Amino acid sequence: MSLLSVENLNQVYTDAYTHEEMTAVGNVSFDIPEGQFISLIGPSGCGKTTVLNIVAGFIRASGGSVMLAGKPISGPGPDRGVVFQDFALFPWKSVEANIAFGLKMRGVDKAERKRRAREVIELVGLSGFEAKYPHELSGGMRQRVGVARVLATEPTMMLMDEPFASIDAQTRRVLQQEVLRIWEQERPTVLFVTHDVDEAIFMSDRVIVLSSRPSAVQADIEIPIPRPRTWSDVYADPAFVRIRRELMAMLGVDDDEKGS
Amino acid sequence: MTGIALRPSREPLSDSGRRQLARRRARLSSAAWFLSPFVVLVALWAVLVPALDVSPRTFPSLASVWAVFTSGVTDGSLWTQVFASLARVGAGTGLAIAIGVPFGILMGISRGVSGFFSPLLRFSVALAGIAWIPLATLWLGYGTGAVVFIVFNAVFFAVVYTTMLGVRQISTSLLRAARSLGAGPGRMFVEIYLPGAAPSIVTGLRMGMGFAWRGLIAAEIIATSSGLGYTLFLARQYYETDVIILMMITIGVLWLLMDRFLLAPLERRTVERWGARRQVGT
Repeated sequence: MSLLSVENLNQVYTDAYTHEEMTAVGNVSFDIPEGQFISLIGPSGCGKTTVLNIVAGFIRASGGSVMLAGKPISGPGPDRGVVFQDFALFPWKSVEANIAFGLKMRGVDKAERKRRAREVIELVGLSGFEAKYPHELSGGMRQRVGVARVLATEPTMMLMDEPFASIDAQTRRVLQQEVLRIWEQERPTVLFVTHDVDEAIFMSDRVIVLSSRPSAVQADIEIPIPRPRTWSDVYADPAFVRIRRELMAMLGVDDDEKGS
Repeated sequence: MTGIALRPSREPLSDSGRRQLARRRARLSSAAWFLSPFVVLVALWAVLVPALDVSPRTFPSLASVWAVFTSGVTDGSLWTQVFASLARVGAGTGLAIAIGVPFGILMGISRGVSGFFSPLLRFSVALAGIAWIPLATLWLGYGTGAVVFIVFNAVFFAVVYTTMLGVRQISTSLLRAARSLGAGPGRMFVEIYLPGAAPSIVTGLRMGMGFAWRGLIAAEIIATSSGLGYTLFLARQYYETDVIILMMITIGVLWLLMDRFLLAPLERRTVERWGARRQVGT
C-alpha cells in the first residue's frame, strides 16, 4: 500500500510576461510506499520542484490527484515536513526555537518541546549550538537545522527540495551521509528533489526521472545498492556506475562534463 | 543626521579585548566628530555676541541662555515642558504603533487591502503633518488631544507603509515553512509577519518619529498651553530671545538623544539580530 500516490498530475500556469499558457508538469504519475526514499530528477525546468510544491500543498495542481495515506492533499500541513533549498530558517529565532517551532504550533508544552528539540539537535550533531542564531551558522549547519526542524515534528513524509544545492561540495558529501544515517534511524518516507545524479543514486531506494516539458515520468529505477551506504563504498559499486551512466544518457549529459 | 556618528562600524564579535578597545576608540572619535561643529558654533556665539554688541532682542548672549536654563532646571519648569511634550510623543507614537503595525501587516498580506488603501495612503503622506492641525483642533479641541493626533498621524503613515513593505519582503519559503509546520493565521501574525517585518517597522518608526517631533512643535505652538513648542512661541511675545534659543536647543537636543540612544540602537539591534535575512532572503 503506497503512502503517497500521485496520479496524472498536471500543472498549467499563465506566464506573467507573455500571458501564454505554460505547461510546467504534463502528466506525472508515481507511488511512494511507506518508508521509501525516492528521488525526483530531470532536466532543469522539467517541473520537479513544482511536483514537490504540489505535494507540499504550496501550490494547487491544475489537474490529477495527489493522495497521502488515501486522503487528497489540501494545502500545507505538518504531516509533510519540507526541507528547503534556501533553508528557510526563522532568522529571529535561535536554533532551538527554530527546531521547536512545529511543536509549538501543535501546542506541545514548553518542557516537552525543549526535551524533543534537544533530542533532535543531538541527532543532527548540533549540540552546543542551541542558542545560536541562523546567521551565525555555516550553510551546512543551517541545513542541519532545517532537517532537524522537520524531524522534530515526526511528519508522515519528508519533502526535500534540492536541500544541498547551495552548500559547498565537500560539506554536501558529509551532509548526504549524515541525512542517510538519520534516515536509517527514523525511516521516514522521503521525496527528494535534486538535479545531482550522483546524489539521487546515493540517497535513494528509487530514482524517478522526469522528461523535459511537458514533463512525464521517463524512467523509474530501483537502486539495488545495500545500506548503510558511504560515498567510498558507493563510488566503487558496479551498480552505481551502471545506473549513473544510464541516467546521464537519459538526461543527455556527457559523463565527464557533469561531475559532482 | 550624520550617518557616521549614528552607525559605529559593526564587526563580527571577537574575544580579543584589543578589538573591543579599538571599537570603543572609534565610537569615541565618532562622537567627537559629531560634537565638533556644535562646539565651534557655541564658541563663535560666546565670542561674537559680546564683541558685536548684539541687542538681546535680536539674539541672546550665551550667559543669559545658560541662566534661563539653570533656573528652568532648578525650579523644574523646564522639565514640566519637556515632559509635557514627551508624553504627547509617547502617547501618539504608542497609538500609532498599536494600530499601524497590524494594519500594515494586513496590507502586506492582502493585495486587495493594499490595493484599496494605497492611493489613500499616498494622498495622506502628502498631507501628513501640520496640515491636519486645523481639523485636529476642530475635532479634538485645543489641547493635548489635538497634539497627540498630529503625532499619531505622522508615525501612523510611516509605520503602516514600512510595515507593509517589511511583510512583502519576507521570503516565500519562510512563509511556506511556517505554514507547513502548522502555523494558522493567528500564529503567522505573531510568529512570522510581526518579527519578519520588525527591521522594517523599526526603520519606519524612526522616520515617523522624526516627522512627529517636528509636527509636535508646530501643533504645540497652535493648539496648547504647555510644552516646548508653546513655550517657544510664547517667549516671542515678550522678546525673550534667550527662552526662544533655549527651547530651540532643547528641541534639537532631545531629538538627537532620542534618536541616538533609543531609535538608532533599536534599529541596529533588530537588523543585526535578523542579520541572516539579507543573505538568505535574496
